Amino acid sequence: MYGELKHQDVQTACRDLADRSLAKIRGDLARLIYLASLRDYNTGEYHHEGLACRFTESVAGRAMASCHRDVFRRMLLCPVKELVEQLELYASSNNSTSFELVRVWEKLQPYRVIVPLECSSLAARLFVSNIRAALAILQARQLRVLQHPLSA
Amino acid sequence: MTILCLCLLLSGREGRDADQETSAHLEWDSLTPDVSARIFDPEDWDFVGSEASRHLTRQFRRERTALALDWLRAVRSQVNQSIRAHFRAARGNADLKPADEIRLWLDFVCFQATSGILYLMVWTYGPPRAAKLLEYSQELAGKLRQATEDFLPAGHHVAVELIDGKQQGKS
Repeated sequence: MYGELKHQDVQTACRDLADRSLAKIRGDLARLIYLASLRDYNTGEYHHEGLACRFTESVAGRAMASCHRDVFRRMLLCPVKELVEQLELYASSNNSTSFELVRVWEKLQPYRVIVPLECSSLAARLFVSNIRAALAILQARQLRVLQHPLSA
Repeated sequence: MTILCLCLLLSGREGRDADQETSAHLEWDSLTPDVSARIFDPEDWDFVGSEASRHLTRQFRRERTALALDWLRAVRSQVNQSIRAHFRAARGNADLKPADEIRLWLDFVCFQATSGILYLMVWTYGPPRAAKLLEYSQELAGKLRQATEDFLPAGHHVAVELIDGKQQGKS
């Protein structure tokens, strides 16, 4: 009975998070980065003051972990072609160019820390491989545009 | 004959490696049909080939092949564990039906052979070309799950159920 209630609370908290925060973010990649940023790198626990106030710390934490897994799963199953579009969208929504994004992401590799904790190594490798391919394709497109600006 | 020998060799080596390696890593998503569909899907394979440089395409395809082989090792390891648990449970069962056991054993041998060939195909030609055989191999894994269902406690079925999910989704 208690477990069921708790599960319902987590579901409600997930909907709340999706409606209030995630809906305002454009693109799953940006949502994934946002959700990963709510996680403490040392403990792996998620913190969101507003959500914890509306529910409890534990329910809010579980809801954020669940949303993180869901969004990550969508990104994991996303074809590389769509990942390239997601990267472009992410760059434009952050007021940066995709050129800057590629340069910084290739150096810092932030995509490695946005993987959920419970993710298997196989899934994490698939995700990283796809993102790296998408970044390289984006870079190749930029180079083509620089070389042939009129045809772009 | 050569293929059969290679299958047997692979089967032996995988059993040792994968049992130790995968049990620690298998969490919520690695064996689900949609993840394997992504790994084996030719769409990314072709897209990267058409958009990226030759060097990057080679690197991407190498990574995909390694992922497909690791996925296959993990599935084989899970099926092996289920079958071992089944035979352990069957030993103490008084209502054992020999015909069913023989059928199960044949399915298991068939699965081992198919997944061994699949391993070689992935290794040689890459995951997209092996996608058809993958479906057949997954069907066999599903049949093995059905067959071991009566003997095992629920926890042992998880991995094979994940594989079987694809067939249920299709039908």
